[in-house]
Amino acid sequence: MEALLSGLLAAPLFLAPKPWEDWSLFGEQIVLGLATGAVYALVALAIVLIYRSTDIINFAQSEMAMFGTFAMWSIWLSGVAFFSQPWVLLVLAGLFGLGMGAVVERVVIRPVEGKPILTIIVVTLGLFLLLNSLATWIWAQGELPKSFPSPLSVLRAVDIGFAHIPQHHLLIFGVGVATTVLLGVLFNYTKLGLAMRATAQNPLAARLMGINVGNMLTLGWALSGALGGIAGALIAPVLTLHPGFMLAVLLYAFAAAVLGGLNSVPGAVVGGFIIGVAENLLGTYTPHAILGPEMKLPLALMLLVAVLLVRPTGLLGERALRRA
Amino acid sequence: MHMEIWPFLALSLGVTALVRVLPWGTERQRIVVALLVLLAFMCWAPFVLDNFRLFQMTRIAVLGLALLGLNLLTGYNGQVSLGHGAFVLIGAYTVAVLLDRREQLNLVDANPWPFWATIFVAGFLAAAAGLVIGVPSLRLSGPYVAITTLAVMISFPIIVRKYGAFTGGAQGLGFSRPPPPPFLEDLLRREQWLYFLCLLTLVVMTLLAWNLLRGQYGRALQAVRDSEVAAAVMGIHVARVKVLAFVISAFYGGVAGALLALISGIVNPETVDILQSINYLAGIVIGGLASILGSIIGAGALVFIPSDAARIVAKLPFLSSEMVTRAPGAIQGAVVVLVMLAMPYGVAGALHRLAGLRPEQLLARWQEAPALLGRALGRTSWPWDIRPWARQGPQAGQNSAERTEL
Repeated sequence: MEALLSGLLAAPLFLAPKPWEDWSLFGEQIVLGLATGAVYALVALAIVLIYRSTDIINFAQSEMAMFGTFAMWSIWLSGVAFFSQPWVLLVLAGLFGLGMGAVVERVVIRPVEGKPILTIIVVTLGLFLLLNSLATWIWAQGELPKSFPSPLSVLRAVDIGFAHIPQHHLLIFGVGVATTVLLGVLFNYTKLGLAMRATAQNPLAARLMGINVGNMLTLGWALSGALGGIAGALIAPVLTLHPGFMLAVLLYAFAAAVLGGLNSVPGAVVGGFIIGVAENLLGTYTPHAILGPEMKLPLALMLLVAVLLVRPTGLLGERALRRA
Repeated sequence: MHMEIWPFLALSLGVTALVRVLPWGTERQRIVVALLVLLAFMCWAPFVLDNFRLFQMTRIAVLGLALLGLNLLTGYNGQVSLGHGAFVLIGAYTVAVLLDRREQLNLVDANPWPFWATIFVAGFLAAAAGLVIGVPSLRLSGPYVAITTLAVMISFPIIVRKYGAFTGGAQGLGFSRPPPPPFLEDLLRREQWLYFLCLLTLVVMTLLAWNLLRGQYGRALQAVRDSEVAAAVMGIHVARVKVLAFVISAFYGGVAGALLALISGIVNPETVDILQSINYLAGIVIGGLASILGSIIGAGALVFIPSDAARIVAKLPFLSSEMVTRAPGAIQGAVVVLVMLAMPYGVAGALHRLAGLRPEQLLARWQEAPALLGRALGRTSWPWDIRPWARQGPQAGQNSAERTEL
C-alpha cells in the first residue's frame, strides 16, 4: 500500500496545462468541442424527438447510425462514380437513416407500443444487439477499424484567426448547425411540423383533429433516424469505422439530452454543445496522471449523473406530472 | 462413460419434467422431488461431459447467479439496470487483486487469502458499490436509471485501464485457479471441483433468494415495482426497499464475478464488456422476468446460443465459412427481439403456464392448438405490415395520453 501511495504522489499529480499559458490551444479546444458538440446535438435531438412523441428512449440509436454508416462505406467502396462522392454519401446517409427509422418504427416498435417501459427498453436493446451483431457479421472481415471518406480533409487545417482547425471539423459544425436549423424550420413553420408537435403533446386530441397519429410517429422515427445517419457519416472520418464506434457518441448524446432536458428540443442542442466543449476542456485541463484525455467519457458521465441529481428535468426541460 | 451435452440435457430435463407432471403425491412433493432429481443429474454432469461442455455448465452456474441478481432488481423490483456487468467486474477484480497483487497490498508476509474468503469480500464490496449507485438512483425513474447504470458500465473498464498500476490495465491480472481441497484431491479434477463450487454457490444463493422473495421483503420489492404510491400507502418504506434491491442485486453480481474470476484464472476489462452487460438483461428477458427459474434458463440461453448457433448456421449452403464464425451474435440479437415480441413472459413464463394445466387440459390445449393459433394470428397486427394506411393502432401513443397536464 505504501509503495502504491508513494508512487502516486511521486507522479506529476497536479501537472496539467493551464488555459492562460496557451490561448490558441484553449481556442482550438473550444472550436473542436463545438464541432463534436454539433454531432452530439444531432444524436441528442434524435433521442429527444422520439422521447417527446412516444416516451421511448431509443437505446438502438447509435447502432442504427452505425449500421447506416457501414452501408455508406459499402457504397463508397462499390465505386459507382456518382454515389461514391463524399458529399453524396452524406445525403445518402440521411436518406438511409430516414428509411431505416421508418422501418424500425413499423416493424419493431409498433407491436410493443403502450406496453410497460421495461418491455420497450428491452426491445430497443434487442435491436441494439441485433444491429451490432449484424454489422459485425456483414462488415467485420479484414482489418478494423475502417477509414471513411470526408468531403474535406481531416488532416489539413484551416487558420481561423486564433486557432488551427481541421477542415473536416468545420464541416461537421456547419452541417450540424444547418441540419438543426432545417429541423427547427420544419417544426415551427410548416403544417407537418405543427401536426408532429400536436401528436407529441396530446395524441388523443391530435387524432380528434384529424391528424394521422400513426404516420406522425413513423415520421418522427424516420427523422430521428436521418439525424443519426447524418451524425454517423459526419463523425466517422474522425473516429474511424468499427461496429462499436457510435456507442461513445450515444453516451455523450444521452448526457447532452439529459443535461438539456429530455423533452426539450432546444435543450438537446444546447446540451450537445455544452457537452462537446466540456468534454474537450475536461480532457485537456485536468491533471493527466489521475484524469486526462482517457477519462473524458467517465468525466462527462459524472457530469450527467450530477445534473440528474441536482436538476432531474435538465436545464430547459419541463416537469412532467403523472397520475399515479 | 461419456455423453454429448444435448442427450444429457434431454435426459435430465426429461426425467425432471416427468417427475414434475406425473400424477403422484402432492404438488409440493412433486416440485421438491423434481428439483432434487435435477440437482442429482447436475451432480452427475461433470463425470460424463467433456471438458469444454463442463466449462460451459460451470459458466451457466456462474451466469445464472449473476442473472438471478439482476432479476431481483429488474424483474422483481422494476428498476432496469444495464450496469450489472460493473458489479460482476468489481467482484472479479476483487478476487484477482486479492490473489495476485499481494505485494502492493503489503500482504506478502501474511498468509495468502484462502480463495473462499475472497468470494465473500467480493460480494460485500460489490454490495457497497450497489449502495453507492442505488442511493442516487432513488431520485431517478425508468429510463434514467437505465442510462445512469449504462454510464457506470461504460466508465468502469476505462477507469480500470487508467489505474493500471493496481489493476493490471488492459492486460488484466492472472492467477492460478484454486485446486480441489486435499480430501477431494483423489476424486475430482480441478475443473470438476470448480464446477461443484459454482453449483453449490448457485444452489445456496438460489435458496436464499427464494426465501427472501416469499417473505416480507420479497413482497415489498414487487409491491414497489407495481405501484410506488400504493406500496407507500401500505406502509412500505419505498426508498429503503429500492436501495435494498440494488444492494442485494449487486451482492449476487459480485459473488458471480468472483466465481467467474476463479474459474477462468484471468481478469481483464473485457471479462465483462458492455455488450455482455446488455446481454444479461436480454438473458433474464429470454428466461423470464421475475422468475428464479427464468434466470437460470436465461443463463443457459446466453451460453448455448453463441456456441451452438454456429453449428446450425454452418449447414446453410450460401454462407462463407468466415461469415459462419461471426453468425452467433446476430442470431442472439434476433432471438432477443423475437422472444420479446412473441413471449413477453419468457421461457419460464410459458413453462409456468404449462405446469398449471392438468394432463387432460394439456391434451385439450394440444387438440385445439391449430384453432388457437389461427385466432392469435387473426388478432395480431402483422409486424411486417408496413402499409401506411393499414390500421391505426388503438393503443398508439396511449402512454403519452395518460400523461396529464395538471
